[in-house]
Amino acid sequence: MEACHGRVALVTGSSRGLGRVIARKLSEAGAHLVLNYRKTGGRSEAQAQALAKELVERGSPAVAIQADISQKDAVAAMFQEIGARYGRLDILVLNAARAPFKRVGELLKRDLLELVETNFLGNVYCMQQALPLMQGRPGHVVFISSLGSRFALPNYPLGSMKAAMESLVKHWAVELKDRQITVNGVTAGLLKTDSLIVLRQYWPGVERLPASAFVELEDVASVVLFLCTDAARSIRGQQIVVDNGLSNELLRSAPAS
Amino acid sequence: MAELLISPDQIYREVQKAVADALQISAEKVQPDMSLISDLAAESLDFIDINFRLEQRFGVAMPRKYLLDHVEELFGEGTAIDGGGRLTEVAVTIWNARLGSAGPRVHAGMPLDDVPTLVTPRTLVMIVEEILATCPDTCPNCGKAAWTVVEECTIGCGECRSRAPLVTGDDVIRRWLEDFRARGGPMSSAS
Repeated sequence: MEACHGRVALVTGSSRGLGRVIARKLSEAGAHLVLNYRKTGGRSEAQAQALAKELVERGSPAVAIQADISQKDAVAAMFQEIGARYGRLDILVLNAARAPFKRVGELLKRDLLELVETNFLGNVYCMQQALPLMQGRPGHVVFISSLGSRFALPNYPLGSMKAAMESLVKHWAVELKDRQITVNGVTAGLLKTDSLIVLRQYWPGVERLPASAFVELEDVASVVLFLCTDAARSIRGQQIVVDNGLSNELLRSAPAS
Repeated sequence: MAELLISPDQIYREVQKAVADALQISAEKVQPDMSLISDLAAESLDFIDINFRLEQRFGVAMPRKYLLDHVEELFGEGTAIDGGGRLTEVAVTIWNARLGSAGPRVHAGMPLDDVPTLVTPRTLVMIVEEILATCPDTCPNCGKAAWTVVEECTIGCGECRSRAPLVTGDDVIRRWLEDFRARGGPMSSAS
């Protein structure tokens, strides 16, 4: 039997990048997918709708819902739709992120607000709305983090929010210990996805790093899937680093230019 | 002189290609005055991708920040954007002075979030032209005035092959803003 057969799963920010791969992975494991994208009318809407269509055509229920998670009302509306459609939620993957790429010292007030509103408050709003839909049943929550939570990466203030969220993962795990809800995180390393488009602009030379410095999206998604299965039910409040070993070595020789 | 080495037409063709490749659409769909966001459904990550492609092509560093972000950084928060996230009169004055009458228009009270919708292939061409125009008359490496086009769209020295030392897009904007203030622009020197 499929590991997530019939379970309802929401992956925030799943129109592209890692979120998309995770959504597909959960769908292949039998989950009914709720895809989410931020903006109406942009490319991500088209991509999310196309993915939903593809999953449905493969025989796996899926729907794409627009919601900017930084807006509490929008999050409430999205979960209302999930509640109306399925009456429950079994899996929540907090993947959506959005941040300015600037030095910390250059952040303006609105940059700081964007950081906190999407990457911290937005995740909290989702969690608050998800818990009633997980009432009385096993649930799995996975927060998608990055190595930026532990290392000061250039022009990556998002890392500070990832660190804050990794802390919340512990809090939630403790507060939910008497319910059958696991809360964990996956800390991804360098991904060859949209994030690389960003990184190569802000870290000159990143595209010349050896292939071994990167981790496959599939590999990160597999660990997320595992954390959403019964086999992982005793893993609680943990942050699993999936970076192909990148963070094990403090010193690396500079890539040849 | 250097900007003439690469014609505005050629810059436009490259911009058109960069936009089309990043958005995975055909180049014919891209027209000079189309909004990348409203007409072509581009999103913020796509802008970064487009800039990267242009940087590879022309050997330039595209601006990482918008004009009004620079205004806020140089002259203090609140100069260009009010507490409600809307453009101030000062922002409009600076915008109009910089983009000229042919550029897209803004108005006081306009939400900052709407500004990125004004980016078009034409405004990208303008930025590339402006950066290419910072090429010095002579090569700082060999002292010769022998700039030529290498690798199709990159300016290099015909004598010693060094790449032209171009000013970054962010510095082009910062210099223009400092200069505009010196010429009597409406910014104080808050920060």
